[in-house]
Amino acid sequence: MINQSQTLRALLPGDALTGGGIDGGNKAALAEIDASCRVPVLFFFLSGLAWLLAGTVLALVASIKLHTPGFLAGWEWLTFSNVRTAHLNTVIYGFASQISVGVTIWLMCRLCRIPLVAPGLITVANLFYNLGVTVGVGGILLGDSTAIEWLEMPRYATPILFISYALIAVWTLVTFRLRAERHLYVSQWYLLAAVLWFPWLYGTAQVMLLIEPVRGVVQAAVNWWFAHNVLGLWFTPIGLASIYYFIPKVIGRPIHSYYLSVLGFWSLALFYNWNGMHHLVGGPLPAWMITVSIVASVMMLIPVITVAINHHFTMVGHFGKLKYSPTLRFMVFGAVSYTLASLQGVASAVRSVSEVTHFTHHTIAHAHLGMYAFFTMVMFGAMYYILPRITQREWPSTGLISLHFWGVALGIVLYVVPMSIMGFIQGTMLNDAAVRFLDVVQFTLPWLKLRTLAGLLLAAGHVAFVLNVGWLLVRMFEPYRKPVVRILTGEAETVAAGK
Amino acid sequence: MSVIAFILLGSVVLLPAAGLLALRWATSTGQFRCPDKAALLPFDEVEPVGLETDRILGGNRR
Ligand code: HEM
Ligand code: HEM
Repeated sequence: MINQSQTLRALLPGDALTGGGIDGGNKAALAEIDASCRVPVLFFFLSGLAWLLAGTVLALVASIKLHTPGFLAGWEWLTFSNVRTAHLNTVIYGFASQISVGVTIWLMCRLCRIPLVAPGLITVANLFYNLGVTVGVGGILLGDSTAIEWLEMPRYATPILFISYALIAVWTLVTFRLRAERHLYVSQWYLLAAVLWFPWLYGTAQVMLLIEPVRGVVQAAVNWWFAHNVLGLWFTPIGLASIYYFIPKVIGRPIHSYYLSVLGFWSLALFYNWNGMHHLVGGPLPAWMITVSIVASVMMLIPVITVAINHHFTMVGHFGKLKYSPTLRFMVFGAVSYTLASLQGVASAVRSVSEVTHFTHHTIAHAHLGMYAFFTMVMFGAMYYILPRITQREWPSTGLISLHFWGVALGIVLYVVPMSIMGFIQGTMLNDAAVRFLDVVQFTLPWLKLRTLAGLLLAAGHVAFVLNVGWLLVRMFEPYRKPVVRILTGEAETVAAGK
Repeated sequence: MSVIAFILLGSVVLLPAAGLLALRWATSTGQFRCPDKAALLPFDEVEPVGLETDRILGGNRR
């Protein structure tokens, strides 16, 4: 055992060795940790943002095609089904997952209080990851989709991704083993669970659906067990881990109730993985399987409400700070959206509601309320905090920050609210035998055009953010600009460096 | 079939076992003993409780 941890400790850079791991008292300084994370975290963030831009273009094409089917109709590789699927895979695997890994790396190092270990391992993981997504999305656009939702990437791409997930999980465990802080903060519970759950989910789904496929409805069951758990056991824990760290850090106040946060973690771990079959309400599955998932969906109110209470009471008395901190703005927007998405989700899981909303745009609205208004906003907030610290430069343009925030905040509200209402009406019309199907399609058209408008606002926000990040990087490479000491040490006075 | 049976049975036994072990480890190493202290883990001497760390907008940079 001693030998094993000594071998691992050899991974720690230079002087971080002296204190010797857990409770050795040799906790690295925050600035040192941030600097050690620079290259790997930047790799994940930059490639994630490149995929976000690609996913945004694909999203706009898909959105336009739904109200103007003749758009780009001459290009067979850009059919709606190809573009929609490529959108989902670029934003989920290319963008959201890579930003998640970047944030996880930084949070793990900070909370374990050690500089980044094994940067080579994490860089190789990044290269494999981007190779996997490129091959996978390329395969989808060439028509090689597996047609299994959320697992559409062809079989020749997924092993590459699996290797990457496995490397990331190994890196996280090594970092955890070497930690200089013995106690775990609630964010670490969420992060450790997420990085271990995901390769297991992905590997199991790959074997059962692509390598040695199960038959019949069991395929659908495995499919939605996987897809739901990507949301619940990968993105949600990483989003919540971030909120639990960044809100207290930004406002300078500990979380309202640590007990509640731990209760929230364990109840999420207990209930979320039973939820998958609520995507198949009304499907040809044994009724008890669906019923179990509906019950588990309602049980999700426990972790959701604990998280909502905790975040709200932590913020009480500090809402004025939303004016000054971009991180806080995005985080609070995300935290509120998490509660709303979950309440909408619980309602959609109930049979009588699902009868109306399933197979409608209501589900698409919910998907973006969860993945965008909650998760993506939280990741933007995290990047606003992390990037200046790892590059040691200030954000070059506050105007671009405001443009980003208001573009995406208004854009996503304009996306989710009308589409939720429209989906509900669409569902009641579809269930009415007296209404012609074509009339239902006609009814949706103006709303779908509104969604394209919302998409343009979101796209403008994304471009503003990417420009600001690019500018920040240019500053990083300008040798005459001094690093910003203030944000690294917390000193209050204004420093003119970087101006 | 054998691979699938292996995965399913393995998961059914190993995952809850891992969860229970994690819980046991957490209680035996006192992870839940002092929640007030645990809530302070994101803070330290350089960035203590009470210090705001992200004042960027509104012409009030800190
Ligand atoms: C307690 C919390 C939640 C419950 C009970 C829930 C429930 C549901 C249900 C029942 C559906 C299927 C709707 C249908 O097809 O008729 C669904 C879809 C979806 N949910 Fe949630 N949801 C919850 C939270 C979230 C969160 C936090 C996210 C994002 C991180 C999210 C993302 C999605 C997505 C992306 C879909 C669409 C999946 C697809 O069809 O491709 N949900 N949810
Ligand atoms: C410019 C912003 C975006 C626009 C305009 C947009 C638009 C769309 C469109 C048109 C679809 C297909 C809907 C359909 O099949 O009827 C879709 C699906 C989807 N999008 Fe987006 N999207 C955007 C950004 C994002 C982002 C950033 C994420 C995740 C991080 C995301 C996650 C998803 C998911 C999970 C689905 C599948 C939903 C389902 O099957 O229920 N989208 N999006």
